[in-house]
Amino acid sequence: MESVPTAVPTEVDVPRGETRHAPDRPWVVIVWNDPINLMSYVVLVLQKLFGYNRAKATELMLDVHHKGRAVVANGTREKAELDVFRLHEHGLWATMQQD
Amino acid sequence: MAFGRARRRVVLRRGRYLLRLPDGERTLIRQLCDELRTLLALGPESPRLRRLYPEAYSEDPELEDEYRRLTQADLAASRAAAVDVVEATLDDDELTAEQLTAWMHAVNNLRLVIGTLLDVSDDEPLTIDPGDPEARERMLYGYLGMLLEEIVQAQLDA
Repeated sequence: MESVPTAVPTEVDVPRGETRHAPDRPWVVIVWNDPINLMSYVVLVLQKLFGYNRAKATELMLDVHHKGRAVVANGTREKAELDVFRLHEHGLWATMQQD
Repeated sequence: MAFGRARRRVVLRRGRYLLRLPDGERTLIRQLCDELRTLLALGPESPRLRRLYPEAYSEDPELEDEYRRLTQADLAASRAAAVDVVEATLDDDELTAEQLTAWMHAVNNLRLVIGTLLDVSDDEPLTIDPGDPEARERMLYGYLGMLLEEIVQAQLDA
């Protein structure tokens, strides 16, 4: 049997943000209204990226459209940043902030 | 479905997407791919591309700098890759789901760039005055919106 390597503590490179932001508060991902992206396109992107069904994705899109913004996801900073990146890749105007 | 509606350009059939584009539109899209490639080469800091590289951390300039540093190259590469796929499949009559996604990205990126140029707002309907120096961009913006809508609907129907 192969020996299981024991965990050796190594220096951890803590992202700078964590020192200034309380680590226990989740981050929220916000999509903002913009005049260019089609409503149907926003629905499709929200379904694809977050697995929402059509009704939920439509509700979020309408919130964005009528209220100017909607929280579409939340989680750790790393997860939120990946979500924002994927939204940016799809051309949506998304930001993240701590709840 | 209303009578008299133009034949749909993108139709899902057995897991693939039929692409029914007239030759003139294919030629136009080829030109637009060239233009998009030229624009993308301006780089993420170009004001013309600002909608392609939005802010992630609007309240924290330091984290925003880090985000841009970590993501800009990937975003630029994925935009260029989508243009490559469109160019490689321009003469095809059917696309895989993955290829259609690349088309969707390229068309949406063109709309974002042209919409930024036209300073499109929610309030004013898009009108086209033949004397307008931006008439070509306005027509392209309208055309790309229609094409994108068809690409999206074909996937929503899936």
